[in-house]
Amino acid sequence: MTTPRARLLAVAGLGLTAALAGCAATNAGGTPGTGSEPGGGIDPGADTSAEYTDGTYTAEGSYVAPSGPESITVEITLADDIVTAVTVTPHATSGNQAQFQSQFANGIAAVVQGKDIDTLAVSRVGGSSLTSGGFNQALEAIKAEALAG
Amino acid sequence: MIVDPLPVAWRFEAIGTAWRIDTREPLAPDVADAVTARIDRFDRDWSRFRPDSLVSRIATTPGPGRWTLPDDAPALLGFYRELYTATRGRVSPLVGRTLEALGYDAAYRLRAADDIPPVPAWDDAIAWDGTTLETVRPVLVDVGAAGKGYLVDLVSDLLTEAGVAQHIVDASGDLRTRGVPMRIALEHPLDPRKAVGVAELPDGAFCASATNRRAWGDGLHHVLDAATGMPVRGVLATWVIAPTALVADGLATALFVDPEGESPSRHGAHFARLFDDGRLESSADFPGEVFL
Repeated sequence: MTTPRARLLAVAGLGLTAALAGCAATNAGGTPGTGSEPGGGIDPGADTSAEYTDGTYTAEGSYVAPSGPESITVEITLADDIVTAVTVTPHATSGNQAQFQSQFANGIAAVVQGKDIDTLAVSRVGGSSLTSGGFNQALEAIKAEALAG
Repeated sequence: MIVDPLPVAWRFEAIGTAWRIDTREPLAPDVADAVTARIDRFDRDWSRFRPDSLVSRIATTPGPGRWTLPDDAPALLGFYRELYTATRGRVSPLVGRTLEALGYDAAYRLRAADDIPPVPAWDDAIAWDGTTLETVRPVLVDVGAAGKGYLVDLVSDLLTEAGVAQHIVDASGDLRTRGVPMRIALEHPLDPRKAVGVAELPDGAFCASATNRRAWGDGLHHVLDAATGMPVRGVLATWVIAPTALVADGLATALFVDPEGESPSRHGAHFARLFDDGRLESSADFPGEVFL
């Protein structure tokens, strides 16, 4: 699972000149939407000590493509140091760059946030099979051994 | 919020997982007994987790073998053969020994051996004519990719024949509804409190598969790519809506190894799947919604 931090790094990896800390907060006092919980996908080794002010941040990024200089706008929403929304606005209008930017924008938008099941009206929840007592006991034994070792 | 569509729920544990059968009225004792007996018969034939099962005997009897399989085998192995062909050997019923070596054995050893045997190729290891299974040497059949869904169908058929027209058979992840419209949350594999979508089915089958629960070590879980003999990577969870639970369950497994996602459309099925980079994909006309 892509973590919020990893997503930020992925954005930076495109060659954006603006880092998060340097972004202008356009909505620092705003109320962000529902925040997603830090789930099991968070890298336990990652440094998550930094604190950011909640809000929506916008940055222009530019890079030099073979066809010339290009730019995109990236907007992210932070709530409790978690990225809750990312919007990438492509600026290229034609050719390969427009296609690449569009794919990149769609890829970011498709990163799933999920909704609290409590807020949905459903008749069942469908996930992987629940495991038996025997499997779970064996798994606990393995974990205990790993901790002791 | 989860609202049960039918008032009566019968819960029990069988074949290593939680079951529930929902009906309007409590099942008559003889019908409930027939359900229990049907599940037990399937377990005695197909479970590699019990030493007295048919598949365990096939696996431990030395030399070449000729085995008469039960009357539920043609539909199950026939669909396996379809999946095997469609995925170019990446879904196979011959993954048993490899799963055992990776640690998913009858004793739940949950430790990978140093030497992991490859999955034998179907036509090198067995011949199946619809009734008789011939083996070149002992082979451990594992029907984990579609067997539970198939058993859900068999139990649902039994209930229908017994006159229980409206029912839901749910074997934890594999579900068949008859005459009861369902809205099913697609559980987020990394956070069971969250859903990544909702599937709507008026009737038919729904199966979910994910690598999160039957997992026991670094990259070790129960969904194998039979071509590599290793647990699959790249896909975290799949959800399939299909006419039968056999098809839904088998396709839910195939979607872990089929990068094109082509096979479901041939079976009148719809699917969604979540990749490990957070991408959520759904087939065209997915009944319900996915939260992008």
